[in-house]
Amino acid sequence: MATPRLSTNLSDEDPESTGQEVAWTAAVPLRGRATVAGTPGTGGRLLSTVLNGLKKYTTLLVLLILMALFSFVSPYFLTSRNLINIVLQNTYFIIVAVGLSFVMIGGGIDLSVGYQMSLVGVVTAMMMVVYQLPVWLAVGIGLLLGTTLGLINGLIVAQIRTFPLIVTLATSTIFQGISYLISQAKTYRNYPAEFLFIVNGRVLGLPFDVFLALVIVICAHFIYSETRFGLRLIALGGNEEAARLVGLNTRFIKISAYTLCGFLVAIATMVMLAKANTMNSSFGPGTEFVALTAAIVGGVSFVGGEGSIPALVAGVFVLAVLGNGMQLAGWGTYAQYIVRGIILLGAVVFDEYQKKTKRALR
Amino acid sequence: MSARAEYIVEMKGISKRFGGVQALKNVDLELRYGEIMGIVGDNGAGKSTLMKILAGAYVADEGKIYVDGREVHIRNPLDAARLGIGMIYQDLALFNNLDVARNIFVGREYTRGPFGILLDKKRMYRRAEELIRELRVDIGSPQFNVAMMSGGQRQMVACARAVAFQTRILIMDEPTAALGVREASRLLSLIRDLRDRGISILLITQRIPDVLAIADRVFVLKGGQRQDVMEVSKVTLDDVVTMIVKGKERGGNGDAQVEYKSFG
Repeated sequence: MATPRLSTNLSDEDPESTGQEVAWTAAVPLRGRATVAGTPGTGGRLLSTVLNGLKKYTTLLVLLILMALFSFVSPYFLTSRNLINIVLQNTYFIIVAVGLSFVMIGGGIDLSVGYQMSLVGVVTAMMMVVYQLPVWLAVGIGLLLGTTLGLINGLIVAQIRTFPLIVTLATSTIFQGISYLISQAKTYRNYPAEFLFIVNGRVLGLPFDVFLALVIVICAHFIYSETRFGLRLIALGGNEEAARLVGLNTRFIKISAYTLCGFLVAIATMVMLAKANTMNSSFGPGTEFVALTAAIVGGVSFVGGEGSIPALVAGVFVLAVLGNGMQLAGWGTYAQYIVRGIILLGAVVFDEYQKKTKRALR
Repeated sequence: MSARAEYIVEMKGISKRFGGVQALKNVDLELRYGEIMGIVGDNGAGKSTLMKILAGAYVADEGKIYVDGREVHIRNPLDAARLGIGMIYQDLALFNNLDVARNIFVGREYTRGPFGILLDKKRMYRRAEELIRELRVDIGSPQFNVAMMSGGQRQMVACARAVAFQTRILIMDEPTAALGVREASRLLSLIRDLRDRGISILLITQRIPDVLAIADRVFVLKGGQRQDVMEVSKVTLDDVVTMIVKGKERGGNGDAQVEYKSFG
């Protein structure tokens, strides 16, 4: 029940954004040709709209092909139980990927998200289990902590203006170290029932975490397409120098993006915590790789300025379906690592190839 | 001070240093109401730096700026925009990932909703269409992405952005440098159009014939210092080139002749 609803809602968003206006993702090369040649003819425009649409749905297409493939490999794959499972297992990846998209579309990168989860997770778990704080307070402290970690990343990146890759690599080991110092490498389990509402509760017929992920996805899509902040963030990712020259406060935008990312990562941590119903400092790391891969597979540019939330969500599910399908096919976990790496490489090559084509056509 | 200032812009004693390089030394510039002034000089003479200071992209180390005879403090591009100063940068500073309307309005968006957090896209597209019509430029729909446009069309988008907000002073940095002959001549006539609408224009260029064709006066910089300001109607191409190469002390040295040739 949960799966069909989720996918219906996601695909509902696409026609909306294609219909009204040209999306802020890159135009297809053909349109450019038509423009250069003179006034673009209606035929050229129609063709370019179709191609543009196709490009927007590339990730979704890949997802559908994978699903078709695995349905042949295993009869169990296309059962509703399995599909629901895939969705439930990936709600927190979706939330992290959305958070990361704010940083990446703004032209940055955050490698520390997995380690933020480790730190936020043990602190929240200890607040509930060791200090017996009320759930709302423990969750509040966790969210505040996560937001602060994002803010710290943002401040450093904006202040010293160096490669965010290196900055967040540094902060990730710092967060990891603090997490182990606090947790003393112990495991914390058995959370209060109210906290487990995140996974057991239902809102509008959906499991609460699915509902939460859906709300976050819709809000993010709205931020990118309808708000001033979204436009400025996309502009910053597209051309930082130009952003400065039109008078944008680039530091503020960067800091906001990292902070927003930290906040969403903290929310994802709560979901992860409730799902596992246990926490230690090794939980979280690794998430950054999945989220990053999903973002790039979903068309978020590694150098910023481009991306779309529906495609990003499809990207998460491409990885999820791949993992699930390979498991069902009996290929085991280790082969998945290899395939994920290859997919990430493939997506980056594809992205680079498209950019080259665009430059050549200009 | 008189009721109406003589100049729309006055820059006085402007100096700017980048590390060990003195880019501008005590430069004065006066721009009259409704004139086109060519800013010429060799590479590294400080033309772009001087104009970027007026546009708020750089802040001068020393010197004062007056607009309409009143002293102003331009600390960033938004300050300049509020004073009606717009600049078209040499690399155009466009966002290749955005469409025409978004390029024009980003940073000064039309908004709605609480605290103006929502974009008023309808209004932005409508105004962008108006601008395209007013400027009579061939950039098609405001929904087109600028990444695929020709050099001339991109120039027009940058131009539309620079004049979109009650711009009274327009700075253009080498606008014809990357254009073909036909596009360049169209651009020059557009510049005249804008002047006729009352916009005062500062035109940085290496193409001296362009300056002679459309400017009222020409301002010559050399080594970060003002050399001369000449009425275009009273000078020849050779006069301008000589001033660029040799400066106001026409003593000249051996190198000057060599450099002269590069102007061809």
